[in-house]
Amino acid sequence: MNNILLLEDLPEIRTWLKVLINQVFPQSQIYEAARVHDALELVSAVKFNLALCDLGLPDGSGVDVVAALREHQPECQSVVVTIHDDDDHLFPALQAGAFGYLLKEQARELIAEQLKRMSQGEPPLSPSIARRVISHFAAQTRPQERPQNIPHVSLTDRENEVLLRVAKGFTLPEIGVQLNLSRHTIADYVKQIYRKLNVSSRAEAALEAQRLGLFRR
Amino acid sequence: MSNPLGIPQHGAKRITRGAARQAVCVLMALAASLAALLTSPVAHAGAAIVTITSVRAAQAANDQFLGEQAPVLVTLPDDWSGSRPRFDGLVRYRAAFDRPPGTEPNELLALYVERVCSNLEVFLNGQRIYSGGRMTEPVTRNCHYPQLVTLPSGLLQEQGNTLDLLVRGHALNRVATRQQAGGLSELRIGPQALLAEQQAVRRFWSVSAVQIVAIAIGVLGVVMIVLGWMSRQAAYFSYFGWLSLAWALMSLRVWWHDMPWDNGVIEFLFCTAFAPIVALAVQFLLSYADLRSRWIENALALQWVLLPVTLLLGGPARLFGIANAWYVVLAIETFATMVLYLWVSWRHRRRDFWWMLGILGGACVLVIVEIAVQYDVSGQPQLLQLPLLPLGVPLLLLGIAARLLQVFARALQAAEASRNTLEARVREATAEIEHNFAQLSEMRVEQVTEKERKRIAADLHDDLGAKLLTIVHTSESERISTLAREALEEMRLSVRGLTGKPMRLADALADWRAETVLRLGQANIEADWRGPTEETEQLLPARSFVQTTRILREAVSNIIKHSGASHCKVRCAISDRQFGLTVQDNGKGIPMELDGKLDRGHGMASMKHRAKQMQGQCLMESGPGYGTVIRLTLPL
Repeated sequence: MNNILLLEDLPEIRTWLKVLINQVFPQSQIYEAARVHDALELVSAVKFNLALCDLGLPDGSGVDVVAALREHQPECQSVVVTIHDDDDHLFPALQAGAFGYLLKEQARELIAEQLKRMSQGEPPLSPSIARRVISHFAAQTRPQERPQNIPHVSLTDRENEVLLRVAKGFTLPEIGVQLNLSRHTIADYVKQIYRKLNVSSRAEAALEAQRLGLFRR
Repeated sequence: MSNPLGIPQHGAKRITRGAARQAVCVLMALAASLAALLTSPVAHAGAAIVTITSVRAAQAANDQFLGEQAPVLVTLPDDWSGSRPRFDGLVRYRAAFDRPPGTEPNELLALYVERVCSNLEVFLNGQRIYSGGRMTEPVTRNCHYPQLVTLPSGLLQEQGNTLDLLVRGHALNRVATRQQAGGLSELRIGPQALLAEQQAVRRFWSVSAVQIVAIAIGVLGVVMIVLGWMSRQAAYFSYFGWLSLAWALMSLRVWWHDMPWDNGVIEFLFCTAFAPIVALAVQFLLSYADLRSRWIENALALQWVLLPVTLLLGGPARLFGIANAWYVVLAIETFATMVLYLWVSWRHRRRDFWWMLGILGGACVLVIVEIAVQYDVSGQPQLLQLPLLPLGVPLLLLGIAARLLQVFARALQAAEASRNTLEARVREATAEIEHNFAQLSEMRVEQVTEKERKRIAADLHDDLGAKLLTIVHTSESERISTLAREALEEMRLSVRGLTGKPMRLADALADWRAETVLRLGQANIEADWRGPTEETEQLLPARSFVQTTRILREAVSNIIKHSGASHCKVRCAISDRQFGLTVQDNGKGIPMELDGKLDRGHGMASMKHRAKQMQGQCLMESGPGYGTVIRLTLPL
């Protein structure tokens, strides 16, 4: 991990997070930003490997930064760091391309552990987020109704199976045991689900924009 | 012509013609017997009544009995169209009679003349004793009035009385109907009381009944005209109203003796009146069948002009012939319209088809019989005294009117019903609008409340949350940072309870399971969670979710922090009414306080309190070495 973006408006928390990041990734260069505007400027100037974004910021939402990163630096891993644990706040960020989330009030060790796991490609997935993902894919515009240029993304049976089990309250290690899959395979499924959620959400947004354009014409 | 049975029948066509004629004759015979019944209900009942059928008669230029011609013997009833065709003027009849046997010597006697047309004067033994009215134009028209003449006892002799009748009549060819042609029925002499009775009966049927029904349909006509005026779209009411009124006016001629015009004018007017009446009848039937034809209307109007023109061109001497030709034309028009109406009615399966068929059939019979009378098919003069059309047509009109009023009443009922439905719909719509409005304002209130809640939640997160977070991560003391973290969690749960919607119980269980298993796993405690396998659709209020989350979290915290357990069992059970959660560990248990209650430091009291807030129950069992069991029961 070379370049890390840290977007957080509260100085104390920022300091604290910086210390934590330095612990987990000792060799990294940390770029700090307190506002969305500053963060977007950094995104256009520096190539990042990891971004930790707060959601509620004085001049907007961290989701915009996540989206910009997904757009311009698809290699960068975005992680949402927030005080909001509810999926109403988390889901839009995940749709925009965030790869996982950290809850700020958790103990330092726990956050460090989760950050490490995420950077190793093991994002978390809670039951409520899983339910939101399921309903997102269920409500997707059917393939025959969408124009040619907009892709249709669907989950594989295995991915669905994992999602359904998470939604029922099973933890990822438990599911690995149930499906006789390794920890890494399960993690790959979850990553894939996040990716597909992002691609599908952007396709739906494009479709929506096209529809609005159609009405405007 | 008078006897169809005498006509040889050759071939099928003849048979049908003969059958038709037979049918007409049967009808006429029926009518004749009816006439006989009406005219003389007690005829010849008393021997005291003398009937004179044989008289001497002579045409008279003036009121001198013997004119240029010598009197000849004639038999009564004397129909002028047979005995003196084309004669128009005065005829003197002379009869001799004795006082009827069986009468008291001083009993009052009278002469009864059932039909005399148009008028008469009576002389007894040379003295004028009675006059029916004017004998010169305009002649008084007594054709429908039976005449009763009281014979003064002073002039009456026991034997050899001479009775002279001076009759003013019109030739058949100068009148529009046979009923108005000159003629004299047989004479009856007898006790005044007996004959007065006969005259009263006869007069009732010939005049009074006609007057009654005329007034009835006149009034009915006016009512129908008003109804038609009120409901414009149903033109048939108007047509029927005018038809009834016109017929009522036409029956004036039956009972109005002294019209101020001479015979030619009256007969012309009468005949002309048939054109509009038939036009109205045709228009009524067409409009009742929902048909309309511009050319039929024009043809009827043209006919209205054509009929009087032909009468005028033909002159008064050919009135009867032309009029009867027109009657046939008009009758055919009427029949054609009836057939058309009935056909349409049958095709549309109208409910009044049979009723109208009966009435129109009756009308057909009446018209056929009347035309047969005009052409004198049967040769029975009694038929002239039967008020066929003047009585029959109004009765049929009344029949139609009954049906029309029924239709009108139905329409009224339907209108009332539809108005009621409409009102009900308006009421429903109003109620729905009110309901929607109430819902809308409720929604608006909810929206505003929701917005406010979100604002409060955002504020809490941004201000209080940020500060607590700072404490969590900057405090040197582990205890303070733990407290702050717990406070933060509490705050988040409260905010969730504030803004949350009801949650599916299955989803709540999934969330609890994930959190509990994760936490126990991180603390290296083996978790064994078993819940209901089948999906339930029951909902859990946001507050209940938050409170249960806190209780469960507290219980798990206790196990992790204090119990030293290696294993934890969680069981969930859902029934229709309640939801149960049992958490059991194999740790060292919670020590008892002195008062027998479980240690407050383990948050037992707050767990119980939270359960109570949800109308639920939280029970704990614990003992050293036995571990701890927490049983939570909540109503759903």
